[in-house]
Amino acid sequence: MIAGSRAARSLMVTLALFAAPAACTGARAEGLDASKLPEPVRADYEVFARKCSKCHSLARPLGAGITDDEQWAMYVARMRRQPGSGIFADDEVAILRFLRFHAAELRKKKSGTQDAGGSP
Amino acid sequence: MRGPRRATWLFVLAVALAAVLSSLPRGALAFDRNFAGSAQLDYHFAPTAKRARSFPDAFDGFTMELAGKVAVDFSDKVSANLKVCYGCHGFEADMMYFDFRVADELNFRVGRFSPTFGAFNLRHDPANHRLSDKPLAYDMGRMLRMRQWNLGVMPSPFPDNGVEINGTRRLGAIAQLDYAVYAVSGFKADAGALDLDFKLSRSPQSYYVDNNARPAGGARVAVTLKLGDVSDLTLGASGMYGTFDPDNRLSYAIVGADATLRLETTTVRVEGLSRRQEMDTSDPSRFKYVLSDKRGDFFMKHGAYVEVEQAVTRELDLIARADGLLRVGNVAADSELSSRATVLRYTLGLAYAIERGLRVKFSTEAWDFGERDALTNRKFELGMHAALAGSF
Repeated sequence: MIAGSRAARSLMVTLALFAAPAACTGARAEGLDASKLPEPVRADYEVFARKCSKCHSLARPLGAGITDDEQWAMYVARMRRQPGSGIFADDEVAILRFLRFHAAELRKKKSGTQDAGGSP
Repeated sequence: MRGPRRATWLFVLAVALAAVLSSLPRGALAFDRNFAGSAQLDYHFAPTAKRARSFPDAFDGFTMELAGKVAVDFSDKVSANLKVCYGCHGFEADMMYFDFRVADELNFRVGRFSPTFGAFNLRHDPANHRLSDKPLAYDMGRMLRMRQWNLGVMPSPFPDNGVEINGTRRLGAIAQLDYAVYAVSGFKADAGALDLDFKLSRSPQSYYVDNNARPAGGARVAVTLKLGDVSDLTLGASGMYGTFDPDNRLSYAIVGADATLRLETTTVRVEGLSRRQEMDTSDPSRFKYVLSDKRGDFFMKHGAYVEVEQAVTRELDLIARADGLLRVGNVAADSELSSRATVLRYTLGLAYAIERGLRVKFSTEAWDFGERDALTNRKFELGMHAALAGSF
């Protein structure tokens, strides 16, 4: 009995430890909120979100910090050619359209930060 | 001592190289590079297994897995991947290969990599699958009663040294064919083995050379059908064959079939694997049962899983999985398994994104073993996982 209650206590503590980050930060999905994206890129984002989450989390491409369109082109082409990726050539076009939008947003943010940092 | 120390230095050097490559300004290098990584801290709570005779043959407590990866695109045709991971077997060079693409249909992969087999291995990083642990068919040894069931059917990941030719080909408007053929060192074991010795594939001093100078070969073919903009169905088949002992007397053959259906917010995965494993039967006293003249020198290990993953909200995924193993054939004299042993597991879990790239995972597993535990006389066990997994 004592061993059982001790085990239950340790389980509760462990669960609390793992749940604490969720309670502290609240929820934030790995992907983006499509409804907040401009209308023209929403469909492309859906293709990106579905195809690029087959093998890894969306945090990987969204957090890669790539702002160069050419680099995205090589990156996505390499992913498409992975055996089993399930990415078709027309998917690649849609994915790249979204990632170019994402890269442009990143560039805007970076230049905004630099401008703000550079102001006297 | 030399092996672990060398592995630690390998890891330190790889991390340092990755840090240098990642920190250099783009103009300093004539190629594009990308740094990625993942980590999972999992707590496995196995309350009913504690009193079992098999305990402590289960990881009851924390396990940590982490990986760092650098991908470099030298050009549209040439790229390289370097990945170092840390897990049950210490630091490991999980990938170190070059891809040379002649065309979409013809790519040469050379170096150290996991040969293309099955559907699960693409997601083997713990941050890439929603439950804390792998399906039993691909599990390396994190199952309950692990000394008896160790290795599953195809322990994943299975990095190996060799060459692979792969490619992808569009078939009409809605279908795409993927293929891969490869020759690698293959699984290993010492002379007189009754099973594969996966540690020989993981320790740096052993994976440097092939133990029997005869490559193992394999292939995979898969077809993906496009059902809509965000829905598809993939059907695949894989096979691998090789010898694993130094004298090339004992062979293994692994086959598998898989189907993955992705419909809007629902993903259904089904996969089955079988391994035919020859054993050294020169000493009958090492076995539990009398060796039969026919078909007595090998065992069969089958494994399968069905998994349904449902996105409930953008943050929350629910997962249900049923998986199991069936082992048919003679066993070692000290084994608690019978000649026809089974284990079934039923899992319910959730994964909740608390930040981009960071998830908590909770799951409960009900285990149904074919054999009763020798001490507790129990067939059913319970397991629970709580994990924090991150990727970038």
